[in-house]
Amino acid sequence: MALALPLFSAEHRVLLKTLYPSTHDEYSEVLASLGKFMEKEIMPHSPKFDLGQEPIGPSRKRLLENGMCQIPFPSEYGGLGLPFSVYANAVELLGTADASIALSVEIHNAVAEGIFKFGTTQQKANLLPSLTSGKTLASFALTEPASGSDARTVRTTAKPTKDDYVINGSKTFITNAGEADVYMVFARTEKGPSCLLVEAPNPGIRFGAPMSKLGMRGSKTSEVTFEDCHVPKDSLVGVEGEGIDYATQILHGARIVVAALNVGISSLAYAKALDYSKQRNAFGKPISEFQLTREKIADMKTGINAARLLYFYASRLKESGFDYSSEAAQAKVFATEMSLKVCDAAIQVYGGYGYTNDELHRHWRDARLLTIGEGTSEVLRLLIASRELARAT
Amino acid sequence: MKFAVCVKHAVDESELRIDSEGKPQLDGAQAKMGTFDKNAVEEALRLRSGLGGEVIAITVGKTEAKKSLKEALAMGADRGVHVLTDLGVLDPSKTSELLAGAIAKTGPYDLVICSEGSSDTYTGLVPPMLAERLGVPYIGYVRKLEVTEQSVKAERSLEESLESIESPLASVVSVVSEINEPRYPTLIQIMQASKKPVEEIQPEQMALAGPHMPTSVLSMMAQSSKRKRIIIEGTPSEAAEKLLAALEKEGVLPS
Repeated sequence: MALALPLFSAEHRVLLKTLYPSTHDEYSEVLASLGKFMEKEIMPHSPKFDLGQEPIGPSRKRLLENGMCQIPFPSEYGGLGLPFSVYANAVELLGTADASIALSVEIHNAVAEGIFKFGTTQQKANLLPSLTSGKTLASFALTEPASGSDARTVRTTAKPTKDDYVINGSKTFITNAGEADVYMVFARTEKGPSCLLVEAPNPGIRFGAPMSKLGMRGSKTSEVTFEDCHVPKDSLVGVEGEGIDYATQILHGARIVVAALNVGISSLAYAKALDYSKQRNAFGKPISEFQLTREKIADMKTGINAARLLYFYASRLKESGFDYSSEAAQAKVFATEMSLKVCDAAIQVYGGYGYTNDELHRHWRDARLLTIGEGTSEVLRLLIASRELARAT
Repeated sequence: MKFAVCVKHAVDESELRIDSEGKPQLDGAQAKMGTFDKNAVEEALRLRSGLGGEVIAITVGKTEAKKSLKEALAMGADRGVHVLTDLGVLDPSKTSELLAGAIAKTGPYDLVICSEGSSDTYTGLVPPMLAERLGVPYIGYVRKLEVTEQSVKAERSLEESLESIESPLASVVSVVSEINEPRYPTLIQIMQASKKPVEEIQPEQMALAGPHMPTSVLSMMAQSSKRKRIIIEGTPSEAAEKLLAALEKEGVLPS
């Protein structure tokens, strides 16, 4: 089934043209080439990733080596120096090609951005070139068994000694756990939650068994436990006690990307449903002729386009130096909830053949994570409302 | 060694839309370097990595054709040559004339590599015409290539056999897609490709026979297969009789 192809479509091209009248050609070249790479090297494997028949590692590595994560970083760190929107658009394409790899890459790049924004000159020079070129993989370790949305209550500790920090505690639901080379860990020092970089392997890190997840089954998620995990003093990112502020800012950017990822997932579910509605006959005509199917098609397409515009809007604010925290949260809430509706409607269009088809219902299963991960819809609505109320005063 | 690779800025068949009358919508259609041309570029790069030298990508076309040169440069070609024309759709004779002019002007080359055909019109006529115009041997449909300082050894894919041929340099070859797996340029290579040199040549700078083109395309239609939707009823033996009669009537089976 050649659906949702080419990944980088005429719609993307036209949108970039309107947003970047003088530079869109170069962005389109980069995204078109990346899209072709994903079509051939990732998308055909995607059903196998979901069913656990093939690990995502080798495909993810080839993708990162092709340069996907270099897009938003400056050239001194091996980057391409392109706008954040181009990177977000790349994640949308990847969300269509394979949501699990998109999730893994999105986390990886969020950590790289965190190091870029808050890391020391030395951390940036040592870590960023290998992260952006895909030589190494990163993971973000914030959530704990008893601390989710209320991240300020982290219980993991980082005790400074004469020579180093000693980390103790547990993190859970950690994407890329066990695969990553660098962990961005949030742990409490005397001054409060702080951000540290832990390079693996380290005898003080243990990984739990991979969790059995509803979707995003290609990406590895597990607990990460730190037991007297010694890390050098220069592992501290920024200053002690500012960790939650850094995490919050990293997550603002990541939410734009998660929104893009959901637009990607939805685009494929929509393309499949649209195609099926033309093939499947009932009462002597294709079901696409029935008004209630048409309503679904109209709502799916409208939702996808609205979510795409919203993530591009938040992304353009970010690039232009405006406060984008509310818009990023809006994009994520809207896109993730839209995505669930679209993927659900796709199953409805397929009927029993959707409910029993891994290749179709995996889109709903994949999308289901993202009204929870990286800020639940509930917490993000609170963020949006408080930001908007503050802006209105 | 100096390798020339001829590439065409061809309509991207994966994005082509067909209108209700069955005509491909060529106006405003996306274009890219021909799919099989990537195999030609890849082969030149492979030969260069073994023998050393230079790979020059050559195209003929309007300003937009530079995009295809950029694709070849991103893959690893050293520089580009762009014969700028505003003649619109070129026929194979005119294309080969312009390519031969550019090759003569920027050469000499040890080997000229083309693909078996462009991914849009796929006439496959340009490579042999080009060899004829350059006055050098031609080996078509090559699936394996070996080049030494003096000669090129090629294995050709024919319909029912393989043929091994050796030819002195310089020669023109056309390669089939089985010959290799084209590399993906990395994103950095794509960005850096625009910094590589591209020489522009105006057709007026070459001694051409004139604007005349011996052939022109009258119309272009998408392939369509209309089904007759005949449903044969009856018992199995009756149906078989009717099916046999229908197939004979259609001329599928001899009556």
